Amino acid sequence: MDLYFFVEGPLVWIAFLTFIIGTILRIAFFISRSRRMDLPMYRFLKWKYVFATLLRWLLPINKDMAKNPVFMPLLYIFHICLIAVPVFLSGHLAIWDESRFEWSWPALPDAWANWMTLILLAISIFFFLRRLISADIRLISTFSDYLLIIVTALPFMTGYFLTHGTLESIGFKGDTMYLIHLLSGELMLILIPLTRLSHSVLFFFSRAATGIEFGRRGYSM
Amino acid sequence: MTAPINAQAVMDFLKPRMGARFKTWVNICTHCGMCADTCHFYLANNKNPKMIPSYKVRFLKDILKKKGRVDRAYLEEIYKTVYYECNVCRRCSLYCPFGIDIAYLIYVLRALLNSQGLAPEGLARTVLDYKEFGNQMAITDEEWLETLEWCKEETADELVGLDIPIDKKGAKILYTVNAREPKFYPQDIMEMAKIFHVAGEDWTFPSRKGWDATNLAMFMSDTETAREVASNTFKRAEELEVKQIVVTECGHAYRSLCYEAPLWLGYTPKQPVVHSVELFLDYLKEGRIKLREKLKEPTTVQDPCNIIRNGGLAEKNRLLASMVSEDFRPMKNQGNYNFCCGGGGGAMPMGGEMKKHRLASGKIKAEQIRETGAKIVLVPCHNCIDQIRDLITEYKIDAKAVHFKEVIAEHMVIPKEMTPKED
Repeated sequence: MDLYFFVEGPLVWIAFLTFIIGTILRIAFFISRSRRMDLPMYRFLKWKYVFATLLRWLLPINKDMAKNPVFMPLLYIFHICLIAVPVFLSGHLAIWDESRFEWSWPALPDAWANWMTLILLAISIFFFLRRLISADIRLISTFSDYLLIIVTALPFMTGYFLTHGTLESIGFKGDTMYLIHLLSGELMLILIPLTRLSHSVLFFFSRAATGIEFGRRGYSM
Repeated sequence: MTAPINAQAVMDFLKPRMGARFKTWVNICTHCGMCADTCHFYLANNKNPKMIPSYKVRFLKDILKKKGRVDRAYLEEIYKTVYYECNVCRRCSLYCPFGIDIAYLIYVLRALLNSQGLAPEGLARTVLDYKEFGNQMAITDEEWLETLEWCKEETADELVGLDIPIDKKGAKILYTVNAREPKFYPQDIMEMAKIFHVAGEDWTFPSRKGWDATNLAMFMSDTETAREVASNTFKRAEELEVKQIVVTECGHAYRSLCYEAPLWLGYTPKQPVVHSVELFLDYLKEGRIKLREKLKEPTTVQDPCNIIRNGGLAEKNRLLASMVSEDFRPMKNQGNYNFCCGGGGGAMPMGGEMKKHRLASGKIKAEQIRETGAKIVLVPCHNCIDQIRDLITEYKIDAKAVHFKEVIAEHMVIPKEMTPKED
C-alpha cells in the first residue's frame, strides 16, 4: 500500500505546505512589488476606505447584490460552504484531533455539512452550466475557468460519496473513494496559490488598492 | 500583410508598468461577468458579449503570455477596442467584486499603443499643440489676451466695474478654462467674469501657458506630456501666489489637475484645485450669489465621470442642480454610479472616427434623460455637453443642455451699483 501511504502521509504535508507557503509568498510578492511599483497605494492609504470596501464586499451589502440578486447570493453561499464544510466537518476534526497537533474546535452538525455539500455541488453545476450556456460568460471564459470549478467541486463530491458510500455498489470501495477524496483535496490545496484560486487572499489586496484609489476621490466603494 | 512589432520594445514598455496591482488584476479575474451590464457600450449594442469590460482587457494577459510577440494588425485590433469601445469612465471598476480597476488596464493598453506610435489623430495632434502653445487649440498668447480683452469689452456695458484681471499677483483664485472657450465659446468666459464680479471674487487669469486646464494627453496615457501640461498651470499658480486653482465646467481638466497631477508630479501641489460646481455651490450657500428665480422647467443633471466617479463631487453636483431648479429630477443611478454619456475618455476630440461609436453608445444616456422628462440638462463638463447636444439631436429628445454658469449668470441678482444706468 505504498500509494496509500504516500497520499495519506507525505502528500498531505506537501499539499498543506504548498498551500500555506505559497499563499504567504503570494502576499509577500504583492507587498514587495507594490512597495516598489505601486507607491500611490501607500501615499494615499486611508484605512477607513480599506475596511469599508472589504466589509462591503465580504458581506452582501454591495452594488452587485442589487444588480444581480440571483447570482450574487449564490456566490456568497458557495463561498461560505466552500470554507465552512472542510474546516468544520466532524470527520476532519477527528483527524486533526488524532494528529500530532491534537487540535480541536467546534464542529458543524453532520446534517448541516451534508446539506451544505449538496448546495455547493448544485451551485457548482449552475456555475459550470452558466459558463457553457450564457453567450456572455462563454466568450470571456477560458479553459481553466471550467477546470477550476471542477477542481473545487471534486473534493466535495468525493467527500459526499465517501461518507455516504454512494458508489460502493459499482466498485468504489471505501478505501478507493478515500484515496480519491484525499487526492482531490490535495490537488485543490496545491492549486490555490498557483492559479487564480489565489483570489482567496489577493482579493483583500486588490480590493484594498481600489478602495484607496476611489477613497482618495472622497468616497468609499 | 502585417508588419511585425519589436517584441522586446513591447515588453520593455510593459514590464516596468506591471506593478503588483496590474499583475494581480490580470491574473485573478475569474471571468464572472459582473462587469458586463455595467458598461454602456455593452448595453447600447444589444448586449454584445464583445463589449464586456473584462473581455476588452484580455489583450494585456495575452501580450504578456506571448512575450510581446504580436503584430501590427493585433495592435490595431486593440486600438479599436480601447478607443472605439471604451470611454474609460471606470463604471465597471466599481462593480468588479475583486475591485479590478478595468479602466486602468485600458489605460495601460492605450499607453502601450502610444509607445508603438498608435494614437487617435485627434488626440495626438493636441500633444504637439500643448508642447508648442501650452493649449490644445494652438492659440497664441496674443490671441488669448486679445480674446480676453474682447470679452471684457463685450461684457463691460452689462455690469458696471466688470474686469477680467490678468496676472494679478496674490489673487485668491487662478481661473483656468478649456481652450474651447476662447476658441468657440467666449460666452463661457464672459458668464464666468460676470459671476466672479457679482460675487466680489478676487480672481485672475494667467497670461501665459497654463490657462488651458484640459489635458487630452491623459486620454492617450502620454504621461510625460500630461505632466508637462498640468505643471504649466501649477507654475502660474506658484508665480502669481494664488490660494487656489478654479477649473471651468470641464471634467477631465479638473480630474487631471486635482487627482492625476499629484501622481504625475510625484508630490501634491499646495494649491487646492476647485471645480466650478464646488465654487458655485459655495457662492449660493454663502449668499454671495443670489438667484432672482430658479429654473421653472424640469431639469436633470449629468454626472460627468471625471468630476463625479473620478472627482468625488457627486453630492455637490446634485445639490447645486437642485438649488438652481424648481423641479429637479435626478436620473436613475444619479451620482457615482451614473452612466457615461459616451463622450468621455477622449471620444469627443477624436472627431469623425469616433462619432458613430459615441452616438451609438450614448443611447443609454439619451434614454436616461428622456426618462426624467427634463427639459433642461445641466452639464458641468465640456465633453459631456457636446455629446449630450449631439444625443439630443440624434435621439430627438425635447430638451436642451446647458452649463451651470449660463444658468447662474442669467438668473443671478445683479446688485444695484453694478446695474448700468439707462440713458
